[in-house]
Amino acid sequence: MNLSVYVPLLLTAAFGLVAPGAARRLPPAVATWLLGVGGLLAATASAAALTLLGMTLVGQSPLLAAEGHWSHTALRHADPVSLPLAAAALAVLAVLTGRVLVAGVRRATALRDAFTLAAGLPTSGGELAVLDDPREMAYAVPGRPGRIAVSAALLRRLDAAERRALLAHERSHLVHHHHVHQSLAVLAAATNPLLCRLPDAVALSTERWADEDAAGTGRRGTVATLLTRTAAAAGVQARPSVVLAAALTHVTARVAALHAPAPRLAVWRVVVLLGLLAASAAALLNAANELERVFEFAQSAYLLGGR
Amino acid sequence: MGRRRASGSLESEVLASLWAADEPMTAGEVADALGAGLAYNTVQTILSRLHAKGAVHREQHGRAHSYTPVLDEAGLAAHRMRAMLDRGGDHAAVLNRFLGTLSAEEESTLAGLLRREHRTGAGG
Repeated sequence: MNLSVYVPLLLTAAFGLVAPGAARRLPPAVATWLLGVGGLLAATASAAALTLLGMTLVGQSPLLAAEGHWSHTALRHADPVSLPLAAAALAVLAVLTGRVLVAGVRRATALRDAFTLAAGLPTSGGELAVLDDPREMAYAVPGRPGRIAVSAALLRRLDAAERRALLAHERSHLVHHHHVHQSLAVLAAATNPLLCRLPDAVALSTERWADEDAAGTGRRGTVATLLTRTAAAAGVQARPSVVLAAALTHVTARVAALHAPAPRLAVWRVVVLLGLLAASAAALLNAANELERVFEFAQSAYLLGGR
Repeated sequence: MGRRRASGSLESEVLASLWAADEPMTAGEVADALGAGLAYNTVQTILSRLHAKGAVHREQHGRAHSYTPVLDEAGLAAHRMRAMLDRGGDHAAVLNRFLGTLSAEEESTLAGLLRREHRTGAGG
């Protein structure tokens, strides 16, 4: 197999490197989509590349070869992937599968807890559930329907414009299904540890998305003040990890973004991210064709009587 | 902005401003507090809707009604119990111990509620 099989692994690492910058600088909705869905695609491509590497070794099993009517000796001679490398790819793949399963189950449990929590919140106020809690806190709970929980203590400390911004921020989390994007990022990071900074990047981009929506109800400065004030008082308490707590993450970067004008689309950043994905897919396709060619060669060798 | 906000979000804003105030508010006071050019009639409609849902308490105050937010005690208690349960550990064990603390009367209430839940198929 040629070198193109290693390209998706490299490009995924590059994707992981540029992700935090994209989350800070791109318009947050664009960043969230690119990093969540794109990140998972990049991670899948790298896992597929490992699978291709591993298949060169699996294909050399005499049992499988007889079953598939190809010559395992011809396969060994035709393919330049060294045995230890292919074996390492398989081992890594096994570990990653475990990681994805664990992350998936954890995420599903957290989501289920959030849905139960949302269903259990007092319903008389519609989307808003006011908690009579002395701590100052606000969070969006995804569910059917999703709910906004805010403590009475926090409402009392904010003025009307700040309350409007706070509600718009939490509503944005629910309306745009930010928990789904964050789940994609978590799964991507589990699939490829090179993307370990992705969940954090998507946490920032979704918070900025909600901040921009909140800014749409009034002045950007109001949201910045709201953030600084609630961050100082943010109540830390046990709750499902999917629940989106306002103002707990990346406060400095978000306040800086709010003091700047609304973000403009930097096309080159989008092109870089999409380019990485496209190149990754092309390399993967190339490697898959190459591997198919090798297997076809081994099959013709089998037909000629080789084993 | 302002005028074209969805009624759901206006409802939340009205409720939030009642919670933020220390004393009962009339529709006019709520409209003033919200600012942003909200019509008195809009606020009045939202307050009536909230009252119908039991989210606010209403009393006659001179010629106008004044409103205070209602704390949904049962809902909040259920929310706290749920949060405690989610805090971790073995759900079955926690529920089992919890059942042990119930009186006979509470147990039969619970059994009745569960039967009704099963019949209506509204589980989950």
